[in-house]
Amino acid sequence: MEAKPSSTSPSTFVDQLVVPGDVILDLSSMANQTIKLGGGLRQDGDSISVMKAGNLRFTKPNKYWVESSHKRYVPNAGDNVLGVVVDTKPENFLVDIKGPALAFLPVLAFEGGTRRNIPKFEVGTLLYVRVVNANTGMNPELSCMDANGKAAEYGVLKEGYMFESSTGLSRTLLSSPPYPVLEALGKKLSFEIAVGINGRFWVNASQSSTVILVGNAIQKSESLSLVQQKIYLEKLLKNIQ
Amino acid sequence: MEQRLANTLNMTVNEKKFIESALLSDLRVDGRRPFDYRKLSIIFVREDGSSEIQLGQTRVMGFVTGQLVQPYRDRPNEGTLAIYTEFSPMADPSFESGRPGESAIELGRIVDRGLRESRAVDTESLCVISGKLVWSIRIDLHIIDNGGNLVDASNIAALAALSTFRRPECTIGGEDDQEVIVHPPEVREPLPLIIHHLPVAVTFGFIGKENIVVIDPTHHEEGVMGGSMTATLNTNGEVCAIQKAGGEGVLQSVIMQCLRIASVKAADITSKIKNAVESYNTERSLRKIKRHNPSLTAVKNK
Repeated sequence: MEAKPSSTSPSTFVDQLVVPGDVILDLSSMANQTIKLGGGLRQDGDSISVMKAGNLRFTKPNKYWVESSHKRYVPNAGDNVLGVVVDTKPENFLVDIKGPALAFLPVLAFEGGTRRNIPKFEVGTLLYVRVVNANTGMNPELSCMDANGKAAEYGVLKEGYMFESSTGLSRTLLSSPPYPVLEALGKKLSFEIAVGINGRFWVNASQSSTVILVGNAIQKSESLSLVQQKIYLEKLLKNIQ
Repeated sequence: MEQRLANTLNMTVNEKKFIESALLSDLRVDGRRPFDYRKLSIIFVREDGSSEIQLGQTRVMGFVTGQLVQPYRDRPNEGTLAIYTEFSPMADPSFESGRPGESAIELGRIVDRGLRESRAVDTESLCVISGKLVWSIRIDLHIIDNGGNLVDASNIAALAALSTFRRPECTIGGEDDQEVIVHPPEVREPLPLIIHHLPVAVTFGFIGKENIVVIDPTHHEEGVMGGSMTATLNTNGEVCAIQKAGGEGVLQSVIMQCLRIASVKAADITSKIKNAVESYNTERSLRKIKRHNPSLTAVKNK
C-alpha cells in the first residue's frame, strides 16, 4: 500500500469510494478542530479510518460519514424509518425496523401521550417513526414525535402497500433535487409515498393498480441507468393512457 | 423470545389487506395477472448433474450424485432414488439450521412423490448385479433464496439436475464374472440416466375470503394465502401427483380448472428445461472436442 501523505485534506476522499482500512483524516495535522463522525468511520489514535465500503460524505462544517447500499439497516439516531409493530409490552411497542435488533417505541412517545391515552396497535401495524437513540448493544429507541414534541408526520400509515428496497434506493428517493423517476411518475399519477431510510417505502393511491405500478417502477429503476430509466418510464406511462 | 420475533416474516396489516383487495380486480403486487408464472431461468455449471434455478426472487440449487450400494431386499434389481433438502438460514431467517422444518420435509416429499410414483427415472437400468450392486441416486436441493413457491423451483432444479447427470459406465468382468469394473469418465463416456418424462410441479395459492386462485405465489402471497395445492403433471397432461395439505377447502370444479391451467404451464416449463439441457449438452460435447484436439486449442490460445 502506498503511504498516504500526512497532510491529507478531506477533499481528496469526499464523494469517493472508500474501503475498510482507508485512512481519511490525520488528526495530528488538524489542531483545534472538532469533527463529527457518522456511520462507517472510527478513530484509531490520531487517524480516522473507514470500517465499511461505500462513498465518503461530508457536510459543512464538520460531519463525515460513509454511505452504502444494503438490504439490512443499521439504526442511526435521527433517521426516519418505517417500522412494523411485532409485539406490545406494557411500557413499549416492539417494532421491527429491519435492524439487527427489534426497536422499542415507548407507549408515551406520542404527542400529548399520557398513561390514559395509550394508542392501541395490533400486530402488523405500519408506522412512520423516528429513531431517537441507537447505541450498540442496546435496542434502538423510537419516537412518534419530532424534536419539539409534535406529531408532525409521524404515526400510523393506513392502507397502501409497503415495498422493500435497499437503503441506497431509499436515500436516492429522499434526495434533493427529487429522484427523476419519482418526479416523472408524479406528473402523470397521483399517489402518496412515505420513504423510510431503512429500506422500505410505502405507497398509497386511490387505485390499487397505481400502487402496484409505482412500487414496481421504483424498485426496478434501481438497477437502471439514467437513460434507461427515462426510456422505461416513457414506455410505462404511455401504456397507462 | 425477542430474537424469534425478529426472525419471522413480519407482514403488515396493510400488505395483507392490499394483496387481497388488489386480487379482487385481478391484480398482483409484482404486476402479474393471477395465472402468470414468474420468469424462470435455468443455469448449468460446468459439472454434470448440477443446476441452479431462478424463479423470480427464489433461487434453488440442485445437485445429483450417484453411488454403488446394495439394493433393498424386496427390490433386488432396482436402483434407488433419494432426495435431501437443505434449508439454509441464509435463504430465509425463519429457517433454522440443523433439524429440517415442516416445510422442508413437505417439499422433499412432494418432489420425491412426483418422481417416484410416476416412475420418471428408470430405476431398473441402474442395476449392476441383481441383489448385490445397484446405483443409488441422491438429489440434493439447496434453497439459496426464498422468494416464495419453493416447491416448484426445487422440483425444476431436481429435474434439470437429473437430466444432466451422468454416471460412470460399469461392466462385469473378472474371473468368475462377479467383479465390477467402473470405467473412469476419461476411458468410457459416462451414461445419462434414462428419464421417461419430466413431472413438473405447479403450485396454486388460494387467497382471501373468495378463495381467489393464483399460480406461483410469492413469499408475501404465501403469508396471506389460506391454502395451497401442488399439482405435478408432465408435458402430456398426465397428472402424476397432487398435494393439498390442509388449509381452505376447494371446490372440485376449481381443482379441475387448476389442473387444466397446470397442464399448460407444465408443458411450457418442460420445454424450457429441455431447451436448457440441450444447449448444455451441445456445449458439453463442444468442450470435449477441444480437449481431444490439441491443435484447435493451440489456435485458440493464440
